[in-house]
Amino acid sequence: MTAFFALLRRDLVVAGRNGVALLMATLTQPVLVVLVFGNILPRLHLVADAFRTVMVPGLMSITMLMAGVQGVLMPLTIDLSGSREVDERILAPISVLGVALEKVVAGAIHAAVAGLIALPAMMLLMHRVTGVDVKPAWGALLPLVAASGVLSAAFGLTLGTRVQPRYSGLLFAVVLGPLMLFGCAYYPWASLGVLGPVQYVFLLNPLVFMSEAMRFSVTPDVPHMPGPLLFAGMAVFSTLFLLAGARQFEKRTIL
Amino acid sequence: MPPVLVVEGLEKTYPGTRKTQPVEAVRGISFAVEAGETFGLLGPNGAGKSTTLGCITSLVRPTAGRIVVEGVDARREPLRVKRLIAVVPQTRNLDRDLSVRELLVYHGRYFGLPAAERESRADRLLHEMQLTDKADTKPLALSGGLQQRAMIARALMHDPRVLLLDEPTTGLDPQARRALWDTLRGLQQRGLTIILSTHYMEEADRLCQRLAIIDHGRILTVDTPAALKRSLPGGHILDVWVRSGTPVAPRLERLPGVLRTEKVSRAGDEDGLERLRLFVEPGDGLLDRVLLAVREGGADLHHVSLTTPSLEDVYIHLTGKELRE
Repeated sequence: MTAFFALLRRDLVVAGRNGVALLMATLTQPVLVVLVFGNILPRLHLVADAFRTVMVPGLMSITMLMAGVQGVLMPLTIDLSGSREVDERILAPISVLGVALEKVVAGAIHAAVAGLIALPAMMLLMHRVTGVDVKPAWGALLPLVAASGVLSAAFGLTLGTRVQPRYSGLLFAVVLGPLMLFGCAYYPWASLGVLGPVQYVFLLNPLVFMSEAMRFSVTPDVPHMPGPLLFAGMAVFSTLFLLAGARQFEKRTIL
Repeated sequence: MPPVLVVEGLEKTYPGTRKTQPVEAVRGISFAVEAGETFGLLGPNGAGKSTTLGCITSLVRPTAGRIVVEGVDARREPLRVKRLIAVVPQTRNLDRDLSVRELLVYHGRYFGLPAAERESRADRLLHEMQLTDKADTKPLALSGGLQQRAMIARALMHDPRVLLLDEPTTGLDPQARRALWDTLRGLQQRGLTIILSTHYMEEADRLCQRLAIIDHGRILTVDTPAALKRSLPGGHILDVWVRSGTPVAPRLERLPGVLRTEKVSRAGDEDGLERLRLFVEPGDGLLDRVLLAVREGGADLHHVSLTTPSLEDVYIHLTGKELRE
């Protein structure tokens, strides 16, 4: 465990040094979306006022997804590149699985911090806007933020070990973009009943569970996914991504 | 005393993919390294040196065979073996986000060294590797030679019993190479067991107490550099470059004083010259006899060179080809 925590410490120290850049990368998207969809469009009566409340948890989940995926994907790209920086970690007295899990924990912390910064930033931007009904239930929010962090970082491990670095641009356009649009970030899953059975197709998207988890704990008055389905979905996707990512990580590091 | 490292029947085949054939990189390598010894793996690129080192360090999973470090089986107890060994890899893989001093200290953390010890050891190693004034520099800003020294310093942080270096001077300028040799000699004098892969003959000759010459995944021979050189017949080598339509080698081999003749092939024989290697005992009239035999064989003598054997000659003798760099 010594090596695990030493590696984690190293990753957090290095991330902390790039704090300003990471903060900008984290906050740009939610702040701008809040400005446009939370201020400008409702004033032009192009978007319903209620949308302001709906999008807050969704933007949190998008922020966490991006932070978690990038928090693992970017360092992993350097690690697995030609210079093989990962070898030093593999040669430390820790199993390969331990090295992979450390990556996920570091990414999860990154994602959780991003989510917990995005929420007050959005609330601050809209504090004088009427009709915004954001009431974080911190007791439920904190564990769900942690769980969402693990899910997005595990997803980052799976993507980072399977996708060649030269395709990472494509990854954002073709995988993460659609996931965000269909991730129930801008509309509650519960209200998708109007689409009929298609509502259940959305459950193939891991972001749906993160968005609904945030909806559950940040805007409890908005209709949200039933608890058991929510927890089961997060657990299944996290396990799946952890197993797939760790397995591929071992394949990429041990020849 | 039992050997520090035992490699037994090591085999590694990299599985093929849809587009590539499987590669048998190592085909049954066995050797043992004694405590305090510097053992060299000498061979051309692709001979299986890096794969052999990779198997010892657990970065490559052997297809068959056994590796034991200080009595600990590498497959059964990889974490214990990781504490006993240290690696200076072929690619410079220093943590680019940390300064030189930090990367030593963090390496100490990974291995669970107490704070005071990792700090003092980092300072000592920075001093020994003459990196003290670069302590706060990021590794990518260092020259190749300094990065190499930083990698050795990092490897020594957890006080390993065996240091493995994979082609440590490849890509270094001659001055940096010599400086690195001095560093390695210092480590030898302290009794560290060193395993070194190289394709530089001079490096193998100067640093290694024993050498395994490897080609195509197999060990061709293991001995001290001196014994390897003595193993060549005659004691002197006469290389003869001829331009000829008919083979003159059989004619040369019959001459008194010529013990053996080998044809040396080399990549890029574009000029139509044939290089014959004669293992000879020099004596009166030898060169005259060779010259005459070449002429009588209907060939033109282009030039000759008479040398005492080097490791490279041993290598050519064993493989029939020059060591390609």
